[in-house]
Amino acid sequence: MNEMKPPREEMLFELTPSQDALDNMRGRDSEDEELLDDSFDVELTPWTLRSSPLQSANSGREDPDSLRLDEPPDNKTGVGHPVQQPDNLSRSIRDRTWIIAHIEHILEKILHGSADEGDQLSITLRRRLCNNRGSIKSAQTSNTANSPKTYKISFPGNSVQEAWKFTVLVRILEIIHGTLVDNAVITKRDIYYRHPDLFVKQSVVDQYVDDLALTFGVSRPLLNVTAAAKGLVSGNFVIKKSDGTLVNGLSDNEGILIPKVLGGDRLNLSAIQAILVIEKEAAFQSVITSKYWSKMSASCVILTAKGYPDLASRVFLRLLAGHSPYIPMFILVDFDPDGIAIMSTYKHGSCRLAHESVTGQDTPTLSLPKLRWLGVHSHQISRIPVTECDTDGAVISKAQGFMSLTSRDRKRASRMLEWDVCAEDGVEPSWRRELQIMLMLNMKAEMQILEEVSGSLASWVNDELKGMQCLGIGSGEGVSRLCTADAL
Amino acid sequence: MSKQYLTLHTIDDAHPSDIFALAPTKNQVLSASGSSSIRIYSTTEADFPLAQMLEGTHKLGIHHLVTSKDGKRAASAGFEGSVKIWSVNEDGFWSQDGEISDQSKPGDIWAVALSADGNYLASSSINGKVNVWSLSKSEGMPKIREYETKGSFGLCVDLSPDGGFTASGHENGSIYIFNNDTGRLSHSVAGLVHPVRSVAFSPASKLLAAAGDARIIALYDVNSGEQVANLTGHGGWILSLDWSDTGEYLLSGSHDSKAKVWRIETRSCVATHSHGDRPLWAARWLPKATRSEMFALAGGNNAISFYREAAG
Repeated sequence: MNEMKPPREEMLFELTPSQDALDNMRGRDSEDEELLDDSFDVELTPWTLRSSPLQSANSGREDPDSLRLDEPPDNKTGVGHPVQQPDNLSRSIRDRTWIIAHIEHILEKILHGSADEGDQLSITLRRRLCNNRGSIKSAQTSNTANSPKTYKISFPGNSVQEAWKFTVLVRILEIIHGTLVDNAVITKRDIYYRHPDLFVKQSVVDQYVDDLALTFGVSRPLLNVTAAAKGLVSGNFVIKKSDGTLVNGLSDNEGILIPKVLGGDRLNLSAIQAILVIEKEAAFQSVITSKYWSKMSASCVILTAKGYPDLASRVFLRLLAGHSPYIPMFILVDFDPDGIAIMSTYKHGSCRLAHESVTGQDTPTLSLPKLRWLGVHSHQISRIPVTECDTDGAVISKAQGFMSLTSRDRKRASRMLEWDVCAEDGVEPSWRRELQIMLMLNMKAEMQILEEVSGSLASWVNDELKGMQCLGIGSGEGVSRLCTADAL
Repeated sequence: MSKQYLTLHTIDDAHPSDIFALAPTKNQVLSASGSSSIRIYSTTEADFPLAQMLEGTHKLGIHHLVTSKDGKRAASAGFEGSVKIWSVNEDGFWSQDGEISDQSKPGDIWAVALSADGNYLASSSINGKVNVWSLSKSEGMPKIREYETKGSFGLCVDLSPDGGFTASGHENGSIYIFNNDTGRLSHSVAGLVHPVRSVAFSPASKLLAAAGDARIIALYDVNSGEQVANLTGHGGWILSLDWSDTGEYLLSGSHDSKAKVWRIETRSCVATHSHGDRPLWAARWLPKATRSEMFALAGGNNAISFYREAAG
């Protein structure tokens, strides 16, 4: 990059989006804006960057050729505010209009830049690195998560690879811009299928969308991009959509896709006494196809996101928890390091997407601090009898559901012990203990092992929930309450 | 013929989490747990008071802790991968003597054992390698023996009291005896198929006891490598083994929280004790100081219990 820059270019980068365009948008979309503000204000207050160490690091060396995506062309006062001033951000300036204007600003720069020839174009993005999940603190103490790293993509760049990245990024910006202008919602999957040959794979889109959201300092839903729903849910709940249609949680025997609940929708959980999250789809299916489920389903909601939870599943669970905080929420995961890591994502959130769940007021939005660990715990499987048979150790252990940790499992468990939540004085002492026991015994077990305890997974779940007096008492007497989702 | 052991004392909340190891000396017992500290309790006073606490020793918790027979040295192994060597002064205070890190990758060193004089340390590892280290401070505690096995996780290791042999027990059930003088494999004995979680040489270095998930204790002749006895009776995975000073009795602790005392002469179980309802990670004899034998049990209930042979 050039150290010297012609004054003309500096002007260029000070440029704000045309006031006409802004006015147009405001006029056309004022009602939608109201709506967006209502639904997103509470839950998705834009992430403030004030405590990011990057701010101070960057303020000293402004790269004039970079388009700083994270510094807004201020369309309210005309003077750029340092991003780290919380007062100017706590009011939701970063709404849809702001993002549209911001993207236009970037695209405009690129247009001008390519017309001018000469210097390279570049876009600076932030990315959250996840090699150490240790800095995910409990929701009460943290609003920073891992410090994001800044990186720059230039065009034409130094390699074909970089040019491709630039193209991908510009195309994603363009698609998001179009979606925002139309005030539509698009899934990451949709974006990918616009240009599968350009994007190559879904994870490319996912990464850049997350980076853009982080760079803009907003949560991904504010870009009107949602994750393709992958979770399944079943149970005796009803959502009354604002257009009058009903979503019934028991409408499909195999569970329904996690529904999207919008501002005006009304949620009815009055019959529910327990919410159960299950790590894996197979276990989820085995429960909801059992004879126990026909009874349990009257007072229970069961959900799976099929592994590490996507945002849609977490948003939905958070909605249930916020709607009816008195309903106990449990999770059933494998007895292995990944099981605990998945539980951690449900409970404390994901590191890469930390900006989705952090608000300026230290209010956790997507975390589920009351989520309780139903199993599998080491003590639940320690009494499982070992059959007397000394023929082939491997086959025997497998049949009983016990497996040795792989060296990857051991590395992962050791690294997880370094997480803040698993520290000696951390908020999850039982996670620390169970990770240590896995390492001591060098053993893991899938939740199917619980079938050995009580015949089927469903009966085990049924017994456990009954034992905790979550099912079967005063059924139907749950506090009857109907409230709108956006009041949460 | 059964023997009676009475509970002498229990230290409740001896640690804030699972106690994974006990290591006695003549007048103390060192204990380690999932917490970062080593806690040292005095065994010469009636209420077994805390004598010293080595704080912040291994941040991620401690999985192994051993003392030398002469009671002058100790070694602790933590989940973060390092091994720390400790020594005690005349006043009974412990301080760090050195560290073996082996590049400090977790699992490179798993189980540890000290020689009777505390001058050598044997270690097992996740990749099956068994190493012996000299603990000479002036030489920088170098690795002096490196034994290769077939690569199955070495869950346990022991050094014979006479210093001649190293034994290791592995996850795939195999048990190896190495000759420390020649640096070669002495015997690959008929294993137990299931994971072997504890190996222990008898005080005279003639017998090796091994046990684990097979829930039997196998006794081997160290010189011939032949299996000479099977002790059956445990219902859970056997996590620890310890010979009494005289070699007459063997103490075993199980995952189902039961401890058993075995008379070697008759190859029979002479006493069974329950220690709560959590895994019994550690069962150790205390060096014989008085007329009656004493042992200590600790595990998942965070408590250390002391037992004494009933008089008469």
